[in-house]
Amino acid sequence: MAEKIRGKGVISGIAMGKIMLAGQNLDGYLVSYKPEDKETEKKKAADALVAVAENLRESIERLQKQDMAEQAAIMEAHRMMVQDPMMAENIANKVEELGNAPLGVLKAAEEQAIQFEQMDDEYFAARAVDLRDVGKRIAKYILGVKEPEIGDEKVILCGEEIEPSVIAGMPTDNIAGVLLGSGSTTCHAVIIAKARAIPTIVGLNKEGRIKKISDGDHVIIDGELGVVVINPSDEERASYQERIRKQEELAAHYAELKELPAITTDGVKVDLVANIGTHMDVDNALNYGAEGVGLFRSEFVFMGRQDIPTEEDQFKAYKEAIEKCDGKLCVIRTMDIGGDKPLPYLNIPHEDNPFLGYRALRISLQRRDLFLPQLKAILRAGVYGKAAIMFPMVINVSEFKKAKEFVEEAKVELAHEGKKYADNVQVGIMVETPSAAVMTPVLAKYADFFSIGTNDLVQYTLAVDRGNANISYLYNHFNPSVLRLIKRTIESAREHGKWAGMCGEMASDPRAAVLLVAMGINELSMSAPSIPRVKEMIRSISSIKAKEILSDVMKMEDGDEIKSYLQKVL
Amino acid sequence: MTQATITIENKTGIHARPASIFVQTATKFKSKVQIQAKGKTVDAKSILMIMSMGLVKGTEITIIADGPDEAEAVKALKDLVASKFGEE
Repeated sequence: MAEKIRGKGVISGIAMGKIMLAGQNLDGYLVSYKPEDKETEKKKAADALVAVAENLRESIERLQKQDMAEQAAIMEAHRMMVQDPMMAENIANKVEELGNAPLGVLKAAEEQAIQFEQMDDEYFAARAVDLRDVGKRIAKYILGVKEPEIGDEKVILCGEEIEPSVIAGMPTDNIAGVLLGSGSTTCHAVIIAKARAIPTIVGLNKEGRIKKISDGDHVIIDGELGVVVINPSDEERASYQERIRKQEELAAHYAELKELPAITTDGVKVDLVANIGTHMDVDNALNYGAEGVGLFRSEFVFMGRQDIPTEEDQFKAYKEAIEKCDGKLCVIRTMDIGGDKPLPYLNIPHEDNPFLGYRALRISLQRRDLFLPQLKAILRAGVYGKAAIMFPMVINVSEFKKAKEFVEEAKVELAHEGKKYADNVQVGIMVETPSAAVMTPVLAKYADFFSIGTNDLVQYTLAVDRGNANISYLYNHFNPSVLRLIKRTIESAREHGKWAGMCGEMASDPRAAVLLVAMGINELSMSAPSIPRVKEMIRSISSIKAKEILSDVMKMEDGDEIKSYLQKVL
Repeated sequence: MTQATITIENKTGIHARPASIFVQTATKFKSKVQIQAKGKTVDAKSILMIMSMGLVKGTEITIIADGPDEAEAVKALKDLVASKFGEE
């Protein structure tokens, strides 16, 4: 019998597929497990070690073939732990003591993990996570819980929370949809899914709804309405098939727009480019007609790993994205990490207010060991196409000047080391703080470009947390204060002969695009699937009409008034 | 039995990545391989034991191998430590 549950749809689209649970809880399995005599249990544990090591070896080979070296390295570390003589001994002792193979394995791994955590060393803390993961993997094998394996069939990932690296590490073609128990609309798993247009629903943990979904269930998800149909009937399948057909028709219509420029009826051209998280997103972006990359969120290169990525690791990631852009501009934003998305190996202390804390450029400027390798990697990768460096969270001129000195220092080091690098890489500012926006007339003297990051600019200007549901009605990028800051930024750039773009959510709003074109914006960067909608709007209007609308809007006193006016005229 | 003593010179010492390379190298040999440091002796084929020793830069370790390919094992591991595991 089909059952429907609801969550919050965040990435629209309909998908069908088989559920693959991520982040499984083993408690239920352990309760119903019936242990045999001690010797049999010990043998089960020992056999499981051999089998799991072999499974891992196979996935490592597959990952290496798919050129996913980082994932392969993590799996390799896991394999070594599984084959470790000390691990085997600890497990044997625990199983002897408890008379239960899966429980013994989990306890042994847990004790080892705690020992590591107490060693007061960031590497060991990270290894503790791996040890628990390994213990769980072995216990799952004994309990007969299948390790999710990606076959040819499309899967719908489902979990309370899913590590962004899990999604990032899987080929787009294999993921039909994403279901999250918790998760806001702006969490990282969602950002990655968005770049790849994977239908996604969040907030399924209310009243334990997500527990109704089991591994291997066939489901249909509607990412617009937030509906999940579990084990649908044939009729339901047929009706959704029809909607998928319509979805494909719309996609075909958008595909016709792919090669056409985003140009107003009277000839004003805007570059529509893409926001990406990994180099794997570039192909998808180009398919939607992106004319380059306006925001490469480089922090994804830093996430899902146990240590700081080396210059070489980063160079490879950036080079791949730049090459795929094929001569079009690829703007790489330096690491935007902070207390809200901590990395275990950076040891950022807990902060009460991470959005106003030690984050992004503020960390980079204090950590040469992080900043220089990143800048060197970008400069080197720039040789393979057209790259730009963008600094996040700038609030004043001296920060930007300091950051630029680092760029020069990186060049000197590269020259010393005899490594090739691009000398003409543009260096710009992500305008996402009100202070930077106010100071753009001065900053424009030093920066090659501005790109307005509206997600943070709106939340800082309006003092509204974008994740807080109680005040989300206040979050409005058409608030006159925000529009004035944006207009000022674009005008500052133009007065100094620099270019201005936008890389926040607002850029994907077709109505906002009209205002931005009227203000004279040069580039709009968005998650790729939004490009056709925005392009269609720009191609349907003249710049004269857009300027009339802008002039009306700038006279209005209230954000909601502007919103409803735009809905009426556009 | 063959043995050699060497001081760890690479910045991060033997944990995380270096430890995994060290163990991978040690397991290539049939001989029993051990590391002696700080008054303890541990199995060089166990990444957990090696990591739990906390071998930081400047620690002196003795590599001890016993078996058919003991000389090769000690040389390979000694060279690996001397190469600073490819770090700067």
